[in-house]
Amino acid sequence: MTNNLQKKERTAVSSNPILAVENLSKSYGDLRILKDVSVAIEAGDFLVLVGPSGCGKSTLLGCIGGLTEITSGNIQIDGQDVTHTDPAKRDIAMVFQSYALFPNMSVGDNIGFGLEVRKVPKTERDEKVNQVAELLKIEPLLDRAPAQLSGGQRQRVAMGRALVRDPKLFLFDEPLSNLDAKLRVTMRTEIKRLHQRLNASIIYVTHDQIEAMTLATKIVVMKDGVIQQVGSPREIYDTPANIFVADFMGSPAMNILDADVTMDGLMARVEIAREDGQEPLILYDTNPGEGITSRPAGPLKVGLRPEALTDLGSRSVNADQQFDCLLDVVEPAGSDTFAVIRLGGTEVTARMHGDVDVNSGDTVPICFDLTKISYFDPKSGERL
Amino acid sequence: MSAISRSREKWVLLFPAILVLSLITVLPFLQTVWTSFTDAEITAREQQVNWIGLENYIWALTDPDFLEALGRTMYFTAVSVGLEGVLGIAVALLLNQKFRGRWFLRVIIILPWAVPTIVNAVAWRLIYHPDYGALNSLLLQLGFIDSYTSWLGDPDRALNMVILADVWKNFPLVAYIALAAMQTIPGDLLKAAAIEGAGAWKRFRSITLPWIIGPMLVVLILRTIEAFRVFDIIYVMTRGGPSDGTKTASFYVYQEYFSYLRSGSGASYAVVVAGISAVLILAYYAGIRRDQRGA
Repeated sequence: MTNNLQKKERTAVSSNPILAVENLSKSYGDLRILKDVSVAIEAGDFLVLVGPSGCGKSTLLGCIGGLTEITSGNIQIDGQDVTHTDPAKRDIAMVFQSYALFPNMSVGDNIGFGLEVRKVPKTERDEKVNQVAELLKIEPLLDRAPAQLSGGQRQRVAMGRALVRDPKLFLFDEPLSNLDAKLRVTMRTEIKRLHQRLNASIIYVTHDQIEAMTLATKIVVMKDGVIQQVGSPREIYDTPANIFVADFMGSPAMNILDADVTMDGLMARVEIAREDGQEPLILYDTNPGEGITSRPAGPLKVGLRPEALTDLGSRSVNADQQFDCLLDVVEPAGSDTFAVIRLGGTEVTARMHGDVDVNSGDTVPICFDLTKISYFDPKSGERL
Repeated sequence: MSAISRSREKWVLLFPAILVLSLITVLPFLQTVWTSFTDAEITAREQQVNWIGLENYIWALTDPDFLEALGRTMYFTAVSVGLEGVLGIAVALLLNQKFRGRWFLRVIIILPWAVPTIVNAVAWRLIYHPDYGALNSLLLQLGFIDSYTSWLGDPDRALNMVILADVWKNFPLVAYIALAAMQTIPGDLLKAAAIEGAGAWKRFRSITLPWIIGPMLVVLILRTIEAFRVFDIIYVMTRGGPSDGTKTASFYVYQEYFSYLRSGSGASYAVVVAGISAVLILAYYAGIRRDQRGA
């Protein structure tokens, strides 16, 4: 059952989608921004498009919103082909990074703008504006001008303008990027709460992988105009489709190491070189996937999340393989302590308990948990 | 202590400007105001100048010809500035679109404004020429008229034809300032309005126009002040004729001074024109202040 669901999600096309993007491409002259992108979400999904700057995620959002003419492909919203439909007729709402509040209108008029355009009678309009203002706790601000608001308040007004029309689809274009770190976390929680409460269908663009992980029901990771992986936050985190996704999602990033992988009975034997002169690390993966068992022995890239390398005190039952390692740098971060270790010709990060008493230069036992190890083809970087 | 010296420093720095302005503006203005209360005339011989109080003003404000000239001037100002505003914004909207050749169009559109008023006036006089003017020839070939017309020869039509020439010359300035203002509109605002369902006209009314209204008011004030004291284009194209059909207030003042040589009376007309200009300017400033408070 779970497996079926995962398969369905990875192909990114669902049976009755609220949004379906098929084979969408966008070029500016010779510059191809989006290459054959297909993605779909069902009603109530919170889809996050995430990727580094210039990966095409905002362009994709613009195409869905009808703000950017597409080169080829097709877009459907709630079963209707809107590929060439005017943005106004797509029944969508958008929240911009700049908030895009109309400076010459009061907060109330900003929120009610879409209703006014649709000729909703004033009394009904005021009622809806007040409801949304109450939901977002901005009732006292309705008569103010946008210029008199703080960043967080503007953010709420921008969301209010989107919410009041109750559209089929919400588009969020990096809505939290202009807020300071603390407010960003607060608003993130509020957006998640709103989504849970309203069960809205949302497409959300961000370059912040933590936002992606915390908000999404479904994540699309993009790079250079190509979708790298589609999946739930858990899938993306635990089974990244390639080294790019593994490296991009998660903080600190997944450790990617060179290793020699051979089959030893039913187990995979993972040999990782250490600093010169030392014996190599020999680790065993007790449950290797088919991608490894059917593959001839040889050098591979393996990926281990920082939490797969930990100290004795905070190890889980699976972290049963233990080696003494020299801690190059120790970085206490409160709830966790991160330690940099040199392994396999590179620096890897271990995530230790926050209270652990270690210092840079110490040699301490590190426990390895290989239950969630990822194997990647050393040439293509694809998951095996 | 330092506040006093700073205030003194301010006056020291302002002094040269105040001196120059006094010499070229304040003194002639006071002189004109004084002259307007006398029966002074421009003559070759020495002549006694008598203080006659408000007599010139009473004369001016009851002179139907002058009041007509004032009315004509207001008509000229309202119509030409209005058309320049509408045409300027329309052209700016066009030039703000993306199309092939946009840069070329943006450059050549300034040409009418770059031409001196006199040259523009002479060119339009030729275009309107009853016998070999381009306008007659064009309209005849297109079938809009049956025979050549004397465009500037009809008192009821001449002022409108002069207005057309004035609009042609001055709309590029309005268009350029409108375009510059439009280019500062954040793209997200227009996109947001489009997503909210606003069509092109609603976006213009709700986003573009409020955004550019400040700069527009400034340029339209300048144009109003200029249009209200219009003289050169009239002088070249029609000399106030035919049968006073294009005689504006400034032209009236000019005639009173330099054709009839009545400097006292001319000065009173000039002061009336200046007073109306001042009211217009103050009204605009009040408008701008209200606009800024609203923003």
